[in-house]
Amino acid sequence: MPDIKFRVKRQDPGDNNNPEAHWEEYTVHYEGENLTVLEGLFYIQEKFDGSLSFRFCCRASVCGSCAMYINGAYRLACQTNVKHLDTDLITVAPMPHLPLVKDLVVNMDEFFAKYEYVMPWLVRHSPDPEKEIIQSPKERKKIDMPVDCILCGSCYSSCPSVWSLGASLGSKSEEYYLGPAALLKAYRFEVDSRDEGGKERIARWNNERGIYRCHTIMNCVEACPKELNPTEGIQWLKRAAVRRKLFRKAK
Amino acid sequence: MKAEVVSAHKGGMWAWLFQRITAVLLIVCLAIHLLFTHILNIGELDYENVANRLAHGTLTAVDIILLAAALYHALNGFRMVLMDYWFTSRTRALALTVVLWVVGVAFMAYGTWALWPWIS
Repeated sequence: MPDIKFRVKRQDPGDNNNPEAHWEEYTVHYEGENLTVLEGLFYIQEKFDGSLSFRFCCRASVCGSCAMYINGAYRLACQTNVKHLDTDLITVAPMPHLPLVKDLVVNMDEFFAKYEYVMPWLVRHSPDPEKEIIQSPKERKKIDMPVDCILCGSCYSSCPSVWSLGASLGSKSEEYYLGPAALLKAYRFEVDSRDEGGKERIARWNNERGIYRCHTIMNCVEACPKELNPTEGIQWLKRAAVRRKLFRKAK
Repeated sequence: MKAEVVSAHKGGMWAWLFQRITAVLLIVCLAIHLLFTHILNIGELDYENVANRLAHGTLTAVDIILLAAALYHALNGFRMVLMDYWFTSRTRALALTVVLWVVGVAFMAYGTWALWPWIS
């Protein structure tokens, strides 16, 4: 029965006695060879401290709830097997640069507000066809990458342009950078052959709150637990903006 | 459905496109500029020889384009960096843009004035 040490960043800003961040260590025992970080956190919650807070849901890396900062990288706790980290010490911290709620839970309100802002849904103007809207395999292939986004927020948390000091200096949140996740979603619909919402959507991403705030730092590409490439999507949008504004192309 | 546009930020495509165009111009003009000022020998480096070199219309044009491209590229790059920090909002970004345009035009005028004897 192997043991592994977990070092977890704890903080409860609502606790008046101890609102500061601190690290706590727990030794986790497990049977067999495999233990995911999420299972480790369950163990800690059961055996040591029931007040440990973290988000999780599907345990199969499709829901995007359990993104955390594990051993110095953005990872999904449910997807991360401790043996692949190749160490006896697992450090678990909440995603940095996001407002903390408690322990490993961060506030994602702004993230989802920006996501909603880019109209992440299919917009149609032409009358609905009899059956489904036809899409060729070649056209479908174009959305293969962006459609896999699970909105875990890793890219958003890792992007230096998102960290903008604006928040602490009192400018309105409507003016902050949309972030890689929202723009990848805009790309996912803009590149979709079935979507006809280009005209409405473009004003939302084609500005200096949107795509032009991306400096191709590519932290998002490195952070993404699904190995997607938000930067590629943003660059496509930049080219699309020129195509549409200068050459009056539809897509 | 008419989409309400909430973002205060508008435009940015031209700045982005010009950043790319000036980058290409910089590579070409800088290569020509360095070639003529540092690699091709004009003999003694005195006023007369340097003035003769500048007297070529094409070279003066290249220098003017180089100045304009370098100023635009540098100041716009600086603007994009600063917009990640304090100049996040539309009002602050706009103020920054105006100030940088004034700085850029002033430098452009100064540079053109310095080259004026060979332009006119």
